[in-house]
Amino acid sequence: MSNLYNRIALFRAERGVSRRELAEAVGVNNQTIGYLERGDYKPSLELAMKIAAYFGVPVELLFSFQRFESVADTLRRAAAAGEQP
Amino acid sequence: MTLLKKMDDLVYATGIDKILFRKVQPRSLRWIPLFVLAALIVGYVFMASITSRPTAKFFMGWLLFYGAYLAASFLRVFGPRFVATARDPLDERELMLKARAYAISGILLAGFAMLGCFYMASEDVPGLWHPKPYDWINLGFGVQACAMLLPSWIASWLQPPPLADQED
Repeated sequence: MSNLYNRIALFRAERGVSRRELAEAVGVNNQTIGYLERGDYKPSLELAMKIAAYFGVPVELLFSFQRFESVADTLRRAAAAGEQP
Repeated sequence: MTLLKKMDDLVYATGIDKILFRKVQPRSLRWIPLFVLAALIVGYVFMASITSRPTAKFFMGWLLFYGAYLAASFLRVFGPRFVATARDPLDERELMLKARAYAISGILLAGFAMLGCFYMASEDVPGLWHPKPYDWINLGFGVQACAMLLPSWIASWLQPPPLADQED
């Protein structure tokens, strides 16, 4: 079975949302959010879409079968390209 | 202060409300159920080994067995959540965990019941132990204790290790 990676922790940190707040918003236990972030649990399509809707992003921006690029790498790439990240 | 208020305060002071309304933080019970199960078996063996009048060994077995029975019924409250409350319904992960734990537990119990039936067919074989009427009653309680304990124990192993960071 393939791994499912996610960026929930990153989005949560960026928006300053606690696990409990996100859990209440999408209707799950806050432990479930913790397991999701750690990659120990794969969400149903319904839960994945609810989390994506909460952050206002497409679901593929939050979940992927490929490992996400780290923030440091993204910044490094942006700096090399002379862009403002 | 009325008697009702005093009783109410006592409930909150002793923490009984946390058990009754399942306000306890669910935890993984990975090893405690093993000791409870061992106590059940040892207690049963002590009780069943007495052939004549009850002795100190029998009472020790009785205490061990029914102590383990009580522990089995209380441990469920502290293990992974299986019962939804009005404030906290079970989410999809908890429902799936519950379904898997109960399914595996049911298969195990059915397997042991089947082996027990095969063993009981050996009634005519001399030298083998067979339950007396009182042993059957204890066996019934033992099966009930296992049915209460196994799902919590299995769910504790099925779910990932607890989060190091329980901040929120």
